[in-house]
Amino acid sequence: MIEARGLTKKYGAKTAVDDVTFTVQPGQVTGFLGPNGAGKSTTMRMIVGLDRPTAGTVTVNGKPYATHRRPLAEVGALLDAKAVHTGRTARNHLLAMAATHGIATKRVDEVIELTGLQSVASKRVGGFSLGMGQRLGIAAALLGDPRTLILDEPVNGLDPEGVLWVRNIAKYLASEGRTVFLSSHLMSEVALTADHVIVIGKGRILADAPVSEIVDGAARKLVRVRSPQATVLVELLKGTDAEVDAIEPGLLEIRGTDAAAVGELAASARVVLHELTPVASTLEEAYMSLTADSVEYQSEDLAAITGTSSDLEGSKA
Amino acid sequence: MSATAIAAGGPASGTTAEHTQVHNVTFWRVLRSEWIKLWTLRSTWWTLGSTVVVMVGFALLLAFVVQLAGDAMEGAPPEDQAAMGGVLGGTTVVAAGYEMAALVVAVLGALVITGEYSTGMIRSTFAAVPARLPAFFGKAVVLVLVTAVLAAVSLALSWLVTYPILNASDATVDFGDSTQVRSLFGTVLYVTLVALFALAVGTLLRHTAGAIFTVVAIFLVIPIVFQIATLAAAQVEWVGVVNKLLPSVAGAQITPSAGAFPDVLDPWVGISVLAGYTVLALAGAATRLKLQDA
Repeated sequence: MIEARGLTKKYGAKTAVDDVTFTVQPGQVTGFLGPNGAGKSTTMRMIVGLDRPTAGTVTVNGKPYATHRRPLAEVGALLDAKAVHTGRTARNHLLAMAATHGIATKRVDEVIELTGLQSVASKRVGGFSLGMGQRLGIAAALLGDPRTLILDEPVNGLDPEGVLWVRNIAKYLASEGRTVFLSSHLMSEVALTADHVIVIGKGRILADAPVSEIVDGAARKLVRVRSPQATVLVELLKGTDAEVDAIEPGLLEIRGTDAAAVGELAASARVVLHELTPVASTLEEAYMSLTADSVEYQSEDLAAITGTSSDLEGSKA
Repeated sequence: MSATAIAAGGPASGTTAEHTQVHNVTFWRVLRSEWIKLWTLRSTWWTLGSTVVVMVGFALLLAFVVQLAGDAMEGAPPEDQAAMGGVLGGTTVVAAGYEMAALVVAVLGALVITGEYSTGMIRSTFAAVPARLPAFFGKAVVLVLVTAVLAAVSLALSWLVTYPILNASDATVDFGDSTQVRSLFGTVLYVTLVALFALAVGTLLRHTAGAIFTVVAIFLVIPIVFQIATLAAAQVEWVGVVNKLLPSVAGAQITPSAGAFPDVLDPWVGISVLAGYTVLALAGAATRLKLQDA
């Protein structure tokens, strides 16, 4: 369990994390979603005490991270794949980490095997690919068999097999009752892995809800219409809730309504349609719309967004 | 990632299969971790090896000089020979390379921490030891142990390889002479303090090249400038005062190479001054390490 209360981090005049409050519950995977530079890494660094908050507090399993007597048993953190001395071998790195908590060599070899690093364990980390570095970071995070896992962009640089492995391990660890907090800038990744998602943009929490709720709400429908009488149709639509974008002469993109309604409206006014296509917006688009301008989308706007309905399976496809 | 790891019993096989024993972080465990860290880097072996080579090399070189000088002074008045022996005694020869060795050891001292900052390792270190200071003092203790033993071993080796040469010139170390024994002990102390000082500078600057440059400036460049200044402006009082309080000049009074200048500190006072600087630098370093973002 991770609890952040009014967490704020300023670098000079720049506010990286702005009065953030959230709780990460055990027993589920919580995605931490936001564009690059949104404050994800800074928040995670504050959780494990690497960065000092300008204001606010954050506790892990009830206590500030630094006050735990066995920190690696409380939190396993992969903050970046490069938090390793390049001149040391992977195994020696893990042995040095393990020594601080009196963790046996057997466990070191266990996490090496678990992360598939056997063949490179005795090689120096400087020659590692990004993917191997990520695996080593995950191995280090698992070393103390922690109750809470914090993984910052864990699938970065991994091959498809590795991505799948991270997804599975995150879900598995959560199913054991552990807290798993996983950041990504990819909505699709979070949608596939997480049960709950916290969306951050420009240092502020934009959404904090079950993944299904966010996806349902944010993935709004779009109807594409091609018509020689587009201007007439635009006039007709002004009387409804629909938003209309004129993409090019004769081509409209309409939100806030569905294809059937647009078709009926056009028929009633005897407007000729050359195309009428319902387009399910992708998760990526939904997420972009959520984070595009964090000032525009404050938390109260989310209720409006999540209020609209959408076909989850359709958007995934 | 091998496919077998995924195939073998699910994604997290091993994480809970057997309960992992995890113990409290103690200073002793942190010390062990730092010990492992030190010996698992090639740079450690390079710097330690270089230190031995420098110490023994300089000692051999100076031993030959003593031999040549002895040959040249064959038949010279006894008081001249005695004066020569005073300048190039056995301890001076054995410890001839201590200044260079101190700089090599300073590189090690700086690397112990700057290597972690430059690679990002420091974040792993602090994640495991979030109190931070135990990790810092662990590094300091390991560094002191290794440097002191290294300096002592280097001196012993230097003594061994120069013994036949010095013996022929009747200029070996007299272990019955407390001043000579103190100067050799002092050499170990000096080299160790320089390594610690470099650790502190490295922690403050977080940058390998910057730290090494700073230590070289403080222990090599500035003393040379003041050496020239004390000769050129002997009448200016503050030059002499600053000179004798310089870390290297103050600290060197306990080594065999001390005593050439009239206005210097007493050996034990001098080494205490160097120790004082080192403690101050370490305190500053510990404060920065503890308070600033990693």
